[in-house]
Amino acid sequence: MSENKEQIIEDSYDVVVIGAGNGGLSATVYLVSNGLKVLCLEQHNLPGGVASSFIRGRFEFETSLHALEGYGPPSNKGSVRRLFEDRLNLDTKFVQIPEAFRLISTDPGEEMDVSMPFGVENFINAIEREVPGSRESLENFFKLAKEVDDAFNYFGKSKGNPDQGVLIKEFPNFLKTAAYSATEVYNALNIPEKAQHILNGYWAYMGLPASRINFTVYATMVLSYAEKGGYIPTDRSHGFTTALDSKIREFGGRIEYNTKVDKILVEEGKVIGVKTNRGDEIKTNHVISNASPTLTYNKLIFPKSEVPEIAYKEVNARIHGLTGFVVYVGLDATAEELGLHGYSLFIMKNMDTEGIYESWSKLQAPDGMACVVLNNGIPDCSPKGTCILDITTLFRPEAWKDVKPEDYFDIKNKIAEELIKKFEDATGTSLRGHIEEIEIATPATFARYARLYNGIFYGYEPESWDSVIPRMMAMGKDVHIEGLEFAGGFGRRLHGYSSAINDGKLSAGLTLQKILKEREEA
Amino acid sequence: MSKDSEERLNVTVKSNTKDLFAFTKLLPSRKKRIERASSEPIREDAIMELSQKLHPERQFLIIDEVKEETKSTKTFKLVPDPDSETKELAYFRPGQYISLKVDLKGVRITRPYSIASPPKDALKGFYELTIRKEENGFLTKLIWDTWSVGTKVESSGPEGFFSFERLRDLNQIVGIAGGSGITPFRSMAKAIIDGTIDAKLTLLYGSSEEDDIIYYEEFKQMEKNNPSKIKIVHVLSCPVISLEGCERGFITKEIIEKYCDANSSTFFICGPQIMYNFVQEELKKFNLPAKRIRREAFGEVKDILTHPDFPKEVAEKVFKVKVHIGEQTKEIPAMATESVLVALERANLNPPSKCRSGECGFCRSLLIDGDVYINPVSDWRKGADKKYNYFHPCASYPISDLEINIPRDS
Repeated sequence: MSENKEQIIEDSYDVVVIGAGNGGLSATVYLVSNGLKVLCLEQHNLPGGVASSFIRGRFEFETSLHALEGYGPPSNKGSVRRLFEDRLNLDTKFVQIPEAFRLISTDPGEEMDVSMPFGVENFINAIEREVPGSRESLENFFKLAKEVDDAFNYFGKSKGNPDQGVLIKEFPNFLKTAAYSATEVYNALNIPEKAQHILNGYWAYMGLPASRINFTVYATMVLSYAEKGGYIPTDRSHGFTTALDSKIREFGGRIEYNTKVDKILVEEGKVIGVKTNRGDEIKTNHVISNASPTLTYNKLIFPKSEVPEIAYKEVNARIHGLTGFVVYVGLDATAEELGLHGYSLFIMKNMDTEGIYESWSKLQAPDGMACVVLNNGIPDCSPKGTCILDITTLFRPEAWKDVKPEDYFDIKNKIAEELIKKFEDATGTSLRGHIEEIEIATPATFARYARLYNGIFYGYEPESWDSVIPRMMAMGKDVHIEGLEFAGGFGRRLHGYSSAINDGKLSAGLTLQKILKEREEA
Repeated sequence: MSKDSEERLNVTVKSNTKDLFAFTKLLPSRKKRIERASSEPIREDAIMELSQKLHPERQFLIIDEVKEETKSTKTFKLVPDPDSETKELAYFRPGQYISLKVDLKGVRITRPYSIASPPKDALKGFYELTIRKEENGFLTKLIWDTWSVGTKVESSGPEGFFSFERLRDLNQIVGIAGGSGITPFRSMAKAIIDGTIDAKLTLLYGSSEEDDIIYYEEFKQMEKNNPSKIKIVHVLSCPVISLEGCERGFITKEIIEKYCDANSSTFFICGPQIMYNFVQEELKKFNLPAKRIRREAFGEVKDILTHPDFPKEVAEKVFKVKVHIGEQTKEIPAMATESVLVALERANLNPPSKCRSGECGFCRSLLIDGDVYINPVSDWRKGADKKYNYFHPCASYPISDLEINIPRDS
């Protein structure tokens, strides 16, 4: 027993990163690669948070990634590929998924089944085929999206302090659309309604209806997928998160698993250390929290009197996003044998994104789901003669708040059954007789493994007032405790794998600057 | 803007002025919304609470009752320890286990035991575990010597995947159990009777001694009161049999055929690996798809030397293992015939573990240098873990000196 109580990790670090999710790993690897002494503490026994994998029988399932944005082909590398390949020389393999998505709408009278290819031209052509006469408006959409994307890059470079003159001269259309929803801008561009529906295909990835999501956020995502494609790691997300863990160790960084941070110690408005559930007391003046601001301010800051009122207000003003529900199925027939076409299938009752969002508030099988036939992206991801299907849907956490443990298994089982049925009906397939392995993740599962507040993995909702642009413009003024930064899906870059990874890098960069400045002053 | 070439896009949502004004208002309006918001801390986290009720990291239990089940087995009734933070027991799926954490002469070790009582009893405040005393078993000797009413026991939350799943399994369950492998089937049978599971159970139960059959009377009663749902067949391997209606020998294809329609059943197997190997060969004759055969993890392999591909030349060896834990490094001895986990426990390093079968991955550690033997049936490592040399100490045996990095227990 004596060994266990003794503190066996060093007691002083330049930076402590709380959580080894996408944001935490990215922040840690950035800092250690810049020579800082960093400790990353993770409560679970694996890296990645929701970016992981698990094994049942003969199958290794992907936990949550559908299509990594911002990776891109070697000829057109995105930020994540540049980080993984060029900066870190990470030993991972990603492959491009075959098409953008297959969108199926099932309501009578609103039936649709379109497959969307990658490539801006191809993407426009495919919609034009479905909705003749939409071409010009779509070309304008992508032109605008490109301008917005360039403006984002400029914002990034200016660290949230852009020159107004440059903005007006170079990015006038960005300025004029930055405060509007996707629907408002679609209409301004005269995009026909049915073409809007197809363009909205990716909306479930942001989890916000087209009438509420900020246009710039959504448009840049569509542009990124169309231009650079979507990628998946050949050995599941556990592959690249383990590779990041390994790289961090190579650089001399330290990750401690099974170690939960109980307290971030704050004195006179400044971070002075952290305390873990193992009793470790670690001195540091810099914490990057991969936990949400919601959890960090409400549960971790010690003493509570050190949480400024504005921090509580900020958390309360923002709209907490969605949690989710995934049915992971290992089938004992191939995708081809089962008639499962397409890699990424968005199956929606209809094209009313507000109505579908509403359905995520009820404890029943929702009206919209995003499904992945993994073998259609990685043919050998499961043994010969089998395939892997994931059916993902979303929930407002409130839908699950009154569930009792004794009803939990039946509820999740019933919802999973209905989702499988909906999938079968929409795709004209029959799966039930082929299920060899099945696992079901609920909001409680995400809370369990990734310690997410209310199981929420979609961060704060990016309505226009709280989209990337105002978040970036608030940069610097959003630090309420000196030495405390955030990284991950609740950060400045919004949720999603690439956003969380980029956010980790951004927060780490800011922290590095501060430390270098402190050292200079000292 | 009009001077721009035709190529140049000019988007107007409301009007030029309004659109630009809307942009300039973004940050101030965000600030205003934040200032207007409540400054009340958030206390609720309903989903996390649900998650912690379902999957508590630890449960602090106390023995409430001890029953002599057979000459070699006892059933322990466990309730929340009133002096602890455990106020209620986690609900579970019939067939799941809890991993006990026991102090064995100052060394902390774990042992997984299937919960033998049905989930509804957890709501009433108790679990039952039936434990067989093992010959030369250090832990079960300790249990026999010291566990009585009032003894405190620490456990994990419910774990494991050996459960009926109606979306996958046929509702005719054929249970094949050997020895103390019957315990999860008691939970399942009771859950079938109380309506938690909508299925039927035919249990083929192998015992080696007639006077040491676990739950003999209890299953007889359950069968009698629920003839359409529960059936038990005892298969005895002892030379003289006096009990009526038993089968003799081992669980063969012929016995399986006699009591069930293999093609319309899902098989659940729980018992020692030697029984599993035998039954697996028998089941092969039915040519069933993989999904129709579920097996519980075996627990720690008793005699790794019996595995044909284990390198016998190292059998007598004791290797040195350099263990990194946090910033500390320790060198410990490890016998080739014992799992790396056992060596870590003996050295009192308190490594994390739950299933002791290679399955749950809770003991996942990094192999920096050296070689281990991994029993193929207990190899549940993920693809990337193999690539990056992670291994599960509970299912790995040293076959050279090792250098490893282990996590602390949570």
